Amino acid sequence: MPHLDAAYTLARYLINDPSEVDDVLQEAVLRGVQYFNTLESDNNARAWFLTIVRRECYTAWSRRDGKMDSVSLETISDLEDAAISPEQTAERSLLRERIVHAVGTLPGHLREVIVLRELQQLSYDEIAVITESPIGTVMSRLSRARARLADSLRDLVDVDVGEMS
Amino acid sequence: MSTERDIGNIVRENLPSYQAPQSLREFVRANAPASDVPPPILVPRRRPTGAARQFLYAAGILIAFLAGWMINNSIRSRQQASAASEAMVAELVDNHVRSLIGDHLTDVRSTDQHTVKPWFNGKIDFAPRVVDLASQGFPLIGGRVDYIRGHTAATLVYGRRKHFVNVFIWPAGGADAGETSQAYNGYSLLHWVADGLSYWAVTDASPVDLEAFRLAYDANR
Repeated sequence: MPHLDAAYTLARYLINDPSEVDDVLQEAVLRGVQYFNTLESDNNARAWFLTIVRRECYTAWSRRDGKMDSVSLETISDLEDAAISPEQTAERSLLRERIVHAVGTLPGHLREVIVLRELQQLSYDEIAVITESPIGTVMSRLSRARARLADSLRDLVDVDVGEMS
Repeated sequence: MSTERDIGNIVRENLPSYQAPQSLREFVRANAPASDVPPPILVPRRRPTGAARQFLYAAGILIAFLAGWMINNSIRSRQQASAASEAMVAELVDNHVRSLIGDHLTDVRSTDQHTVKPWFNGKIDFAPRVVDLASQGFPLIGGRVDYIRGHTAATLVYGRRKHFVNVFIWPAGGADAGETSQAYNGYSLLHWVADGLSYWAVTDASPVDLEAFRLAYDANR
């Protein structure tokens, strides 16, 4: 099945417990395979499968206690980049931890649009389909999510803004 | 505005993406639809020539006609019966899946059988047995009314660990019948007829759980 990685990534950002992520994906796959051949284009298939995965995540939440998870995720390491010094590496991984933490503690409905937009680079249309919301809602959520992140990572962003003004 | 863009870049460059674990890929492969399997490669065979070929053609056509006629006759009746029950199974599973999406699981949500049973009064013209089986591992969650292929069904919802069992009940047309179990798209179904009522239990848990459910339900008369 294509788009399994994208689906897995989305679920990892919505459900904290990795073994529950596996459960969610298995449910989604079972639900998905029966219709998979009826889908026309690849893009359709991606948006459609992500829709199912997202629903399964929400179902998992509501089965538990109706509360959305905050997620704590490991950061990416910089092994491939040998050119930078250990201090820089340490600094960067600290930065990454902060960013990942900021995203992981966003409310679920804001986090999912950030992941779909920034990480998976989907169009507003696709995100609207996946999150089953109007496109205006998607845009305002995205903007709110970015504002929140900018707020909690203010020192990082201010540097950029300061340079521009 | 530029702040938002910057935050987008920062996020994009620093958030990890994930690869689905191998176990999940294997699960997908195991459950992939059959039509995704590439068709078998056909090996060309040597062909007979001349008169032998003509004779074989004629014989082949004749046999094909005869066989077709016979098979057609015998299958047709069976097909009608099994198509009906297959459509039924598909609809039950669809209903089960639908009940898990969003908030359609129950119309009356209560673990108390004395709340759920009276709720059905006036909504259906039969009286299903409503029992809480929490002590046997199937807590009663609630009930709802469904309409399935011409039947108004009383649906009881039970939990099973993290899964659910939907039990669809309506008056049976025929005599009591023992249980038949089947699977459909990874869901398990168990059907039986008892006391003039037709039962269809559907779950995303295992067939073994359904057997256990049936035993528990029957034991609590």
